[in-house]
Amino acid sequence: MNELLLIVFSPLIAGVIAWVIRIRGVREGIGILGALIPLLGLIKAYPSLDHGIKATITVGGFEIGFLLSHMSWVFSMIAVVVGFSATLGMVTTARDNYEWLFALMSLTGVLGVFLAQDLVTFFISWEIMTFASFMMVFKFNRQASLKYFLLSIIGAYAMLIAIGVIYAKTGSFAFSEISAFFRKDAMMAMLGGQPAFSRFDTALVYLLFLVAFGVKAGMFPLHVWAPDAYSETDQSYTAMFSGVLSKAGVYGFILLYILMYGKLMVSLGQFRGAPLFGYIIAFLGGLTIMVGGVLAALQEDIRKLFAYSSISQLGYILVGLGIGTSLGIEAAIYHAISHALFKGLFFLIVATLIYRTGKTEFKDFGGLAEKMPYTFAMAFIAILSLAGIPPLVGFASKWLIFEAVISQNLPILGGMVFFGSAIGFVYLIRFTYAVWFGQRPSDIENTKDAPLPLAIAMGILGALNVIFGIAPGIVARELNKLFNSQVIGGNIWELDLGFGRYNALLVTIWLVIGLLIAAILYFLGASVRKVPVTDTYQSGNPVTMDYNLTIRRNFFLPLKEAVEFWLRISFDKLYRDVWKSIEDFAETARNYIYNGNVQAYAWYLAIILLILAIMGV
Amino acid sequence: MISAYYFGAISLILIGLYAVLVKKNILKILIGLSIMETGVNLLLISIGYVSGRSAPILSEGIGPLQAVDPIPQALVLTAIVIGVATTAMALSVAIILYEKYGTLNIEEIRRLRG
Repeated sequence: MNELLLIVFSPLIAGVIAWVIRIRGVREGIGILGALIPLLGLIKAYPSLDHGIKATITVGGFEIGFLLSHMSWVFSMIAVVVGFSATLGMVTTARDNYEWLFALMSLTGVLGVFLAQDLVTFFISWEIMTFASFMMVFKFNRQASLKYFLLSIIGAYAMLIAIGVIYAKTGSFAFSEISAFFRKDAMMAMLGGQPAFSRFDTALVYLLFLVAFGVKAGMFPLHVWAPDAYSETDQSYTAMFSGVLSKAGVYGFILLYILMYGKLMVSLGQFRGAPLFGYIIAFLGGLTIMVGGVLAALQEDIRKLFAYSSISQLGYILVGLGIGTSLGIEAAIYHAISHALFKGLFFLIVATLIYRTGKTEFKDFGGLAEKMPYTFAMAFIAILSLAGIPPLVGFASKWLIFEAVISQNLPILGGMVFFGSAIGFVYLIRFTYAVWFGQRPSDIENTKDAPLPLAIAMGILGALNVIFGIAPGIVARELNKLFNSQVIGGNIWELDLGFGRYNALLVTIWLVIGLLIAAILYFLGASVRKVPVTDTYQSGNPVTMDYNLTIRRNFFLPLKEAVEFWLRISFDKLYRDVWKSIEDFAETARNYIYNGNVQAYAWYLAIILLILAIMGV
Repeated sequence: MISAYYFGAISLILIGLYAVLVKKNILKILIGLSIMETGVNLLLISIGYVSGRSAPILSEGIGPLQAVDPIPQALVLTAIVIGVATTAMALSVAIILYEKYGTLNIEEIRRLRG
């Protein structure tokens, strides 16, 4: 068996075996093995990347082809590393065979998406991924899964139509041939010839792909499924769902660039010095950052907070992609890696918290840092990484995106990106304080630290957050190979863009020195006094319950009041209204036409016969 | 100029259709159906008619070339039987409806049925 096929299909096979074997212990082992084989396979395949590894199977007359290139290797590595960690977490949190089957099936789907070499394979893998993740949500919450499914179906149909249009004109499904065709077509249009794809066709294909990939990436205003779907499933699986499956949408956008960048540029023109089509993606990405960030700050449920935060962070990736310079795309892929690392870590932490305490709302937490020191350390890494504090991977990638935006002179996008970073602090400070510090409610007094599988899974992701943070050049070097040029310069400790540089090692050293000084000062003579939480907030005055803004409850009520007008414009509600009115319309039409009157039916028959007679049938 | 047979047959169909579409009494609707059926039968027969030929019964001096088209006649024979059967069944349904609702007006029956 070809090693590429082994990489793609071993999770699925392991999932099926784990589903059939219902013995506890054995099924976990098989599940982990199924996630481990692709990881080892990809690492083993790394030296032979330069030639590209191919594999094809024929199913029902269709060639299903996989190709491992540098680009797909990077994305597949994200998938298997986070997927493996999530699988480890599932050893603790998964409740039955069903979850093992579909979690591993979605891993196969996403690997298929990343490794596909033609549109048919891409689409089939895409659907396997959607189906498996839908089944995971379906088990926990039907309402949420239905919303996810409906939007995914809209996206899938959009993609299918786009693929149909492309195939009708180019006669090929293979990426390489389509890409060559579009390049020739763009040349033709530039020289004033008659291109195969008119302006309208190009815009149509672009819009359809925008919908298809936008749904999966959680792009505003198609993000409404994500908060529900991410929060209403096994939280270990969500680490993979939010960390990896959303990257399929990102990969789709990159694919759009690979296939038809020149053509889109020529056909759709420019806006503010950036290609228009890219600017649309970037602008929607910017809106995604802001909407996701503000909504994350207003949540009272940890799972919801991180779901919205995940949407917000996806916005950065879209901004980077939309800018479309080689720096922007590298920054976006970098952020895709770091987002998968820290968001996977976050959801594993949430899984641990829920597993140990059984609670999900901020008001039930508090003071867990003493009881769960290891999980707290991991949470601290994840918080610093998401907020973009220097020696962690989140800073390196966000910094690259900022630089990419600034270097292209895009002030509006710049404002959105900076706003998103600020709001990131706003919601993270709440998670930090409300869960880990302050007074501990008496019913979670006896909470134990993370169980071993979850601890190992968190350890893997936490260590990678730190390693890639201190040595950002490891990732940058890999990304430079995608463009075959030195887009991000510097060595493994330092990123050098020519107009700005960031030395992670230096920052780390200074940070450690600073912490040492602080520690010395603390132990030498700081006078420490324990203060009850309520005292610091209330200043000794009694506060009425309806305006009790402690960090655990309604902390951002003033923010909510400030943005109240904007909150009323909710796309979630809009979609629900549209759905409702379609239902109402159909119901009325049905009652009116099928009224149970035999004579009315006779009239319909007579009218149809008359129409047919007039048409001369 | 359209043949009088066609004109008559199609007029019968339309009259029957009119009764089915507009009349409210079940018996009148059934009468309309019967009229329509007669019209259809007449139309079929008149399609098979060839001017100046005799009935398609092979006998002295009448070969296949001197007879009208026999197929519509066979068709109509079947259609008449079917028509009679459906009419009989519809009439029995009408009787049951009258026993149950005490009226033959279809709107009244619909209202009573709820």
